Amino acid sequence: METCFDVKNIDLFYGEKQALKNVNMEIYKNCVTAFIGPSGCGKSTFIRCLNRMNDLIEGCKVEGEIIKDGLDIYSPKQDIVDLRTRVGMVFQKPNPFPMSIYDNIAYGPRCQGLKDKKKLDEIVMTSLKQVALYDEVHDRLGESAIGLSGGQQQRLCIARCIAMSPEVILMDEPTSALDPISTSKIEDLCLELKKDYTIVIVTHNMQQAARISDYTAFFLMGEVVEMDKTDTIFSHPSDKRTENYITGRFG
Amino acid sequence: MNRLVKDNILKGITYVASALSVIVLAAILWYLVSNGLSLISGDLITGDYYATTENAAISPDYSYTEMETQEYSGKGYYSKKWGIALEDITTAHNDEEISVVYVDPNSPFTHMNSLVAGEDGMELSLSSGSAVQNIYYEDQNGETVFLSRVQMKDAENTIKTLEEAEGIVSINYESIGGGIRGSIFATLYLILISLLISLPIGIASAIYLHEYATKNKINSLIRQGIDTLTGVPSIVYGLMGVTVLFPVTQLVGATSTSILLGGLTLAIMLLPTIIRSTEEALIVVPKSLRDGSLSLGATKSQTIFKVVLPCAVNGILTGVLLGIGRVIGESAALVYTTSTVISDNPSILSQGTSLSLMIWSIMSGEQPNYELASAISLIILVIVFAINIIVKIIGKRLAKSFV
Amino acid sequence: MLIDKKRVKRNKALDKFFRGFFMAMAILSSSFIVIIVLFVCAKGISPFLPGYEYGQVDLISFLTGSIYRQDQGLYGVGFIIINTLISAFIALLISFPLSVLTALFIAKIAPKKLSAAMQSVVELLAAVPSVVYGVFASGVITGIVEWLASLFGIVTYGGSSLLAVVLLLAIMIFPTLTSMSITAIKAVDPNLEQASLALGATRTQTNFKICLTAAKSGIFAGAILGLGRAYGEATAVAMVAGNKLFGPTFNPFDITRTLTSTMLAGLKETTGLDYDIRFSVGLVLIVVIFFSNWILNIVKKRIGRNSVA
Repeated sequence: METCFDVKNIDLFYGEKQALKNVNMEIYKNCVTAFIGPSGCGKSTFIRCLNRMNDLIEGCKVEGEIIKDGLDIYSPKQDIVDLRTRVGMVFQKPNPFPMSIYDNIAYGPRCQGLKDKKKLDEIVMTSLKQVALYDEVHDRLGESAIGLSGGQQQRLCIARCIAMSPEVILMDEPTSALDPISTSKIEDLCLELKKDYTIVIVTHNMQQAARISDYTAFFLMGEVVEMDKTDTIFSHPSDKRTENYITGRFG
Repeated sequence: MNRLVKDNILKGITYVASALSVIVLAAILWYLVSNGLSLISGDLITGDYYATTENAAISPDYSYTEMETQEYSGKGYYSKKWGIALEDITTAHNDEEISVVYVDPNSPFTHMNSLVAGEDGMELSLSSGSAVQNIYYEDQNGETVFLSRVQMKDAENTIKTLEEAEGIVSINYESIGGGIRGSIFATLYLILISLLISLPIGIASAIYLHEYATKNKINSLIRQGIDTLTGVPSIVYGLMGVTVLFPVTQLVGATSTSILLGGLTLAIMLLPTIIRSTEEALIVVPKSLRDGSLSLGATKSQTIFKVVLPCAVNGILTGVLLGIGRVIGESAALVYTTSTVISDNPSILSQGTSLSLMIWSIMSGEQPNYELASAISLIILVIVFAINIIVKIIGKRLAKSFV
Repeated sequence: MLIDKKRVKRNKALDKFFRGFFMAMAILSSSFIVIIVLFVCAKGISPFLPGYEYGQVDLISFLTGSIYRQDQGLYGVGFIIINTLISAFIALLISFPLSVLTALFIAKIAPKKLSAAMQSVVELLAAVPSVVYGVFASGVITGIVEWLASLFGIVTYGGSSLLAVVLLLAIMIFPTLTSMSITAIKAVDPNLEQASLALGATRTQTNFKICLTAAKSGIFAGAILGLGRAYGEATAVAMVAGNKLFGPTFNPFDITRTLTSTMLAGLKETTGLDYDIRFSVGLVLIVVIFFSNWILNIVKKRIGRNSVA
């Protein structure tokens, strides 16, 4: 299996406080990798390292290497904008821009200078179809995205991300603000999307990780306690702390 | 003393204090309305401030037989023969005048040529509002007779005299001054110039302060500098304008203080207002939208122009409106920069007064004109209050927009 | 993949350009305060330097002088500084209690609708341009002053007087004081109020004893701001000050002269020293405001020690 990210000795500091300690892992292509752990364990912090969204936080410092396609994404040679076009992200709360559905999806390509109306139409259509939103909204593409339901908004955000044809989609607790029906739609979508994309998902919901992921990493207090195939983690965890967490002793 | 009584007395005091402010506001409005309202009319808004005297002869092309004047039943005394109605009025300067209230389109007074040197032959037409000074007419014997202002006595007598005349030779009349058209234009120029300069600088500064500036000494110094601008009295801005900005206006051909100079000065004065309201709007834009845009590979400036600024447009609009309000109300900063000379035909590089400055100009002269000042004040207040209400509505919408 | 290498390069360059542009604008904005102070200083100091083209003016007699007559070439602003301080402080003394009470009324006591209406009244008063206050002052306040003076058998200069200036300024700084006080009172921790109520204090007692004490730092900040406005208020004050030639003025019915009214008086037909000296007066105004703010901020820190807001 091909490696997508090779993470080596990542330490992350918010000012004086260390939020990630010596994180090492490999993330494979066309797999769903889930990060689980109690809140504040660093899983969201880590996922934001993968497309360098942490750069936006003042006083945040990252040490170590994350190799993607043979290049450390933290090396000065790496272009951040270029990285982010290849590694897309979906956030905890749906964050559609206050513009039309069409403009939301066309936003990324337009930022890259794509002006061809035909191509844009095609991208918007295929993206919406991929997230199974097309049938619901095809007759009101010009309306504001704010009018959509929470679940639709989140799928729109995924479509917006897909429109950039990224290699990786990072999802930071994408269903935490959604109802169960919308959640299951997004989960189905993840399984569907992994054919074309590498998916990394942070979730606070262990069942969700078990349902959709191929690999699971368990985070605790800024460290990766254990990372393995999802089946293995949930049936035969090798670390006591993982077992305690999975069986619900703490959380 | 009973606690309840004491409480009620204390409460009562706050009611009284609040009532005082209502009384003051009411008194201001009452004073302005009672003094100025009667003066507000279309003529006030479109008229010249300076009265001009015209001397005009009936055009030789005009034929009395071909032109038929209509009946007229409005106010004043009407002469169907000459198609003109006159009325006695008292001007804002307390002068008794005979004023034209109606001129028929076919009247000889609409077909005249100027007799004033330098404007020879210029076509003129008597318009209502003008004050008649004297008239040369032809009597039954075909002789030209001079009818002076004193001989006219009043409107009724004038019309009676003219009805007996055989023809009109020429007329000397004065347009009624006291209009504010020039000042309205000057105000508009000031608004335009100051916003044109202040908006880009202000918005860009706000973007830097809120989107880029990290916490360090230089940035807190920048912020302090802008905050201090707020406390500078407007008259000091005026002093700065003549020393610092006057040379700038000279570059584009200004020879004296000018509306351009006033506009530039006000632009700087507006900066803190524009920066603050833009920043307040930027604060409300959720961080998640910026993250969303950046995660799609947009650059920071793309994110700002395409996502953040469109969301902040209401706040910027608030800044614009508040800025307009301040420009309309400003006087002290302009005294030094645009001069207090009222102009009827202001241009960017000429001197002139805004509406507020016009008030200052007519109030600080030898004979303050309270009526005109009140009328202009009333106009200013209506605009400023309207702006305030709109800003409040926008503010409410802004508070709701991202919940 | 949608990446167009040329486009990326251009975007990056644009991004850098805009960053620089925004920063340059921010620096420009904040540099104006320096420009203002520097240039007004330079021009204001020039009449006191040797070699000044219209004849050097003595700095000490300028600062301590008690006569200001351009026709005799006597320029002393000592009494004008005192006049300015007196009128601003008395205006503050009148306006302060009224605005604090009004703020308390709006923030705590008034029923909701009345409170909103009163808030609008304060906002409208704040929006009235100073020149309109000037028209009101010369039309109405001077009349009141004349009437008051006649009760004492005093004849005024058409009502233009220290009292008229004080009343005008009191009205003009009222909205600033009130809105700052409202903000401060609304920021008081509700827990404090509940603690007071739980101890058996009535609502009104709590409002007066707890809210006002806890908010006093913020209220004082409003007073500082209001005082600054009072010093710098120009056109309206100039309409009713009367511009006395000597002083200081202590009699409320006598005419007075403030720094700002001096700067505006007879500006239309003046050049030379009489024009330049106005910059010196402006410089004095800046210094007065600076020192007043500095001292009051020290006082505020003392007062604010046991205050919340």
